[in-house]
Amino acid sequence: MRRYGPAALLLLTGGAVLRITLFGDLYLRYVQPALRPYLIVSGAALMLLGLTTGLTTAAHHDGHGHGHGHGHGVGGPRVAWLLTLPALALLLFPPPALGSYSAGRDAAQRAAQGVGAFPALPAGNPVELTLGEFSSRAMYDSGRSLKGRTVRMTGFVTHGDDGTWYLTRLQVSCCAADAGTGKVEIRGTAADGPWPADTWLTVTGTWHPKGRLGTDAAWPPVLDATSAKQVKQPADPYEKR
Amino acid sequence: MGRAVGDGLRLAGRGLVYAVLGGVALIAIATVVSVLGPMVALDLYTPPVAAWWTVFTAIAVQGIPFLLLGTVVSAAIGAFVPERVFRRLLPRNPALAVPVAGVAGAVLPGCECASVPVAGSLMRRGVAPAAALAFLLSAPAINPVVLVATSIAFPGRPEMVLGRLVASLATAVVMGWLWARFGRDEWLRLPERHAPAAFGLRAFGAGLQHDFLHAGGFLVLGAAAAATFNIVVPRSVLDVFTGSAWLSVLLLAVLAVVLCVCSEADAFVAASLSGFPPTARLAFMVVGPMVDLKLIALQAGTFGRSFAVRFTSVTWVVAVVSSVLAGWWLL
Repeated sequence: MRRYGPAALLLLTGGAVLRITLFGDLYLRYVQPALRPYLIVSGAALMLLGLTTGLTTAAHHDGHGHGHGHGHGVGGPRVAWLLTLPALALLLFPPPALGSYSAGRDAAQRAAQGVGAFPALPAGNPVELTLGEFSSRAMYDSGRSLKGRTVRMTGFVTHGDDGTWYLTRLQVSCCAADAGTGKVEIRGTAADGPWPADTWLTVTGTWHPKGRLGTDAAWPPVLDATSAKQVKQPADPYEKR
Repeated sequence: MGRAVGDGLRLAGRGLVYAVLGGVALIAIATVVSVLGPMVALDLYTPPVAAWWTVFTAIAVQGIPFLLLGTVVSAAIGAFVPERVFRRLLPRNPALAVPVAGVAGAVLPGCECASVPVAGSLMRRGVAPAAALAFLLSAPAINPVVLVATSIAFPGRPEMVLGRLVASLATAVVMGWLWARFGRDEWLRLPERHAPAAFGLRAFGAGLQHDFLHAGGFLVLGAAAAATFNIVVPRSVLDVFTGSAWLSVLLLAVLAVVLCVCSEADAFVAASLSGFPPTARLAFMVVGPMVDLKLIALQAGTFGRSFAVRFTSVTWVVAVVSSVLAGWWLL
């Protein structure tokens, strides 16, 4: 049976990749949406390679005993069995998206940029924004495009030290390993839960200006909430950095 | 003719038996695990453990397409490109071949997982190790995808892209020359695979399967190490060191090794480390694609442990020095 090890490993790895991309949105917990086509192609190629490897092994086994100057023995390289760990994890218990634990360990970051005028916000009230868009406009927009607008944002709840709470979203540029934290402080009695950490909320409210633009005093930005509604975790739990 | 049909039938029958037996076994295991698993898991699955698994699988999933691309290219080189092609393309003199190979790194659009198997198969195809190593270091750092990502991450600061290009290329070429002058062949242990006569489609399949499984195992090992550091060392520890310019360069150079951010994304991470001076962030982007835990594991698997230890430690030093020089000159 060991001689079918390589084929089985390839099928398992390919199957795991296809399961999280082709049959659902689970891959969004780990990587960016743009990687999906490449993952599907890789998964299919691995399955195909596994099948041909299995068939060739069977043919060799039946026909002439094959000479293997392989250096690894019949079962292929032994270190390859480590691939079963992520593959089985993805197939049986897909690990959850990162949440408040990761956000709490990581001092929230903000992309440093110069203060300047931003393009106008799209029309409509309330206007749908990501936490990243809201934060950079709140901190760096000399045109103050947020002023007088009602905005709506989705994220999960994290708690500060002194009773403050935040709407938080992890920002990912490539995969979950590089996740950074974006957060907005929520004020106003209308939104008071008290919500437990990791609850996903859609919060509507208005910008509460604070500190001078571009300084540490303006961080984190504040939203005066008028309503907060519990929602399901979005398919893509992260924001693109 | 009759025998061939008989063989085919026997083969199909055997395949069916294996499929049924394997399928039944898998279903049995899956049932037991999915019933018992949650009970055990509830106790062990604390937030840090869950975050470890997520980061671990994320690095593995992210790496697989690039690793497959790299192994496809390397298997194709092994199976379809005869040695004389490289002999004609590269200058005979290693001192000249090194910079040529370093610049040629710009053509492999991928992150660092792809370049290790390609460099291995170049060596097997008779390319001087010094040149193949220069290619190994430069490919993930200076290809167009990475440079464009860098310019997006640092808008309005083209000197950051130029600094990255110059410092990475310099490191790759210097390392190639150092290997040509001081390297010893006995440090380098290339896995001797299928007979040298093997050529064509069958050799391609065998090489692809072997290279992918081999490198994939080491990718998983590196992902586990990176996830462990990601969970154990909080990034906020870094803020303590932002004061001193020298310390911050060294610190970010160590962080690049530990975090294993893929080279197409590291510019965004570097941009977010806003408390650090530009030279330190440049060092993060120069070291990361050349030395990190996942790469050390991959290189140890492909070229042997004694090679990986020597090569990665010297590369780290050279990369830090050249990014300090490039930073002093350009930033």
